[in-house]
Amino acid sequence: MPEKKIKIDVLTLDSVQCAACGYMMESIAAMPPDVQEVIEYKEWSIKGNDGIGKFMELKGKVLPTICIEGDLVFESIIPQYEELIDELAKRASSPEMKERLLSLREVGFNFDNIKENLQKAGAGQF
Amino acid sequence: MAKQMLIDALRGKKTDTAPWLPYSGVHCAYVINEPADKYLKDPQLLAKGLVETARKYKADGIPLVFDLSVEAEAMGLEIKYWNDNVPSVQSHPLSNKTVDEAGLKVPGPDDGRWPVLFEAAKIAKPQLDELDCALLGLACGPLTLASHLAGVRFFTDVVKQKERAHSVMKFCAQVVEKSVEMYAEMGCEIIAIVDPVASQIKNETFKEFVHAYCQSAIAAIHRLGKTSVFFICGDATKVLESVCQLGTHGFGIDEQMNMNFVRDLALKYKVGFAGNLKLTLALSLGILSPREDAIVSLAAGGTEGFTLAPG
Repeated sequence: MPEKKIKIDVLTLDSVQCAACGYMMESIAAMPPDVQEVIEYKEWSIKGNDGIGKFMELKGKVLPTICIEGDLVFESIIPQYEELIDELAKRASSPEMKERLLSLREVGFNFDNIKENLQKAGAGQF
Repeated sequence: MAKQMLIDALRGKKTDTAPWLPYSGVHCAYVINEPADKYLKDPQLLAKGLVETARKYKADGIPLVFDLSVEAEAMGLEIKYWNDNVPSVQSHPLSNKTVDEAGLKVPGPDDGRWPVLFEAAKIAKPQLDELDCALLGLACGPLTLASHLAGVRFFTDVVKQKERAHSVMKFCAQVVEKSVEMYAEMGCEIIAIVDPVASQIKNETFKEFVHAYCQSAIAAIHRLGKTSVFFICGDATKVLESVCQLGTHGFGIDEQMNMNFVRDLALKYKVGFAGNLKLTLALSLGILSPREDAIVSLAAGGTEGFTLAPG
């Protein structure tokens, strides 16, 4: 059975219009390939009805916010790479996944596939 | 319309009523029924959009453009244009190189879209003067510019690789200083340093990186006899006292801030403050009544150093 991926919801105004929202999205999209394999993520812009619904569902307070597995983790603070890894590891679906994520703490952001990753997450598509 | 009243308010002075400053941006393109991407590259359209929008909304001041990609584009970064939004930065040359390795230079009046802005200002300025409406120049702030250049890794670098981060910010400060000088040359009476991502960092990081690297641009604005403002977005509560201590005449905040908190800090530091109509909930989505929202802002802001503006 495949491992359950870690779910990330990024609550934004709009990652195109708002630079802070854009770099919140980029912090996830620039995670290295080994991390990309275990996460799934989506941008929720409050400019659309779906985004408003998600903001209410997750009890969002500020924009932008990164939610991991339903928790409001980074509220109006763009995370450092290691902080993101640690918060993902805390919410890993198995001890093996947690260990694998923690082993990637020194790898750092990777910008090679950033456009594809942002596209996949629905960034700027409202 | 009342240009001087806006300047007075942004400098923290008491005014008869609160002046009104719409950050119209690419909405000006919508007003003249043009797509944003075409609008931002055409000086005639830019001037037409500015003047028509200023007249339509009875603005006391209006930004030439609200586009934080101007400096990045002039340095050769890849930009994506949208027909209904501002351009976005697509490449980060300093994600794995130094400023020298990437061959970056401080852009001047002949680079990127700067000639378009000079031409647009030349056409629009006399018409805005007739309307008694101030022209604002908006320079991309140093931290946002550093993020454009280095990508999201910059927010890790400010903690883990300080020397590298300071080197990038030193270059960005030179770019911002040149931008404000160019806006002054265009005739902008008010010049804002717009650093939206500065709300997304810890206060100590703000002091070390944003405060320090805004100083040369602020000094240039003042040396050239213009009014200085710092615009910040998002929930800037944790850094707002530091914003008041930057040395600008005033600042602008976004809809997520509590206006009573903002007003009290601005009065304490005797600086102007602008905000904070709810751009999303009222003006864009209409979930709140824009009229009621404006009344709430006006009541909280008062008439000492307050400018009504979108948040």
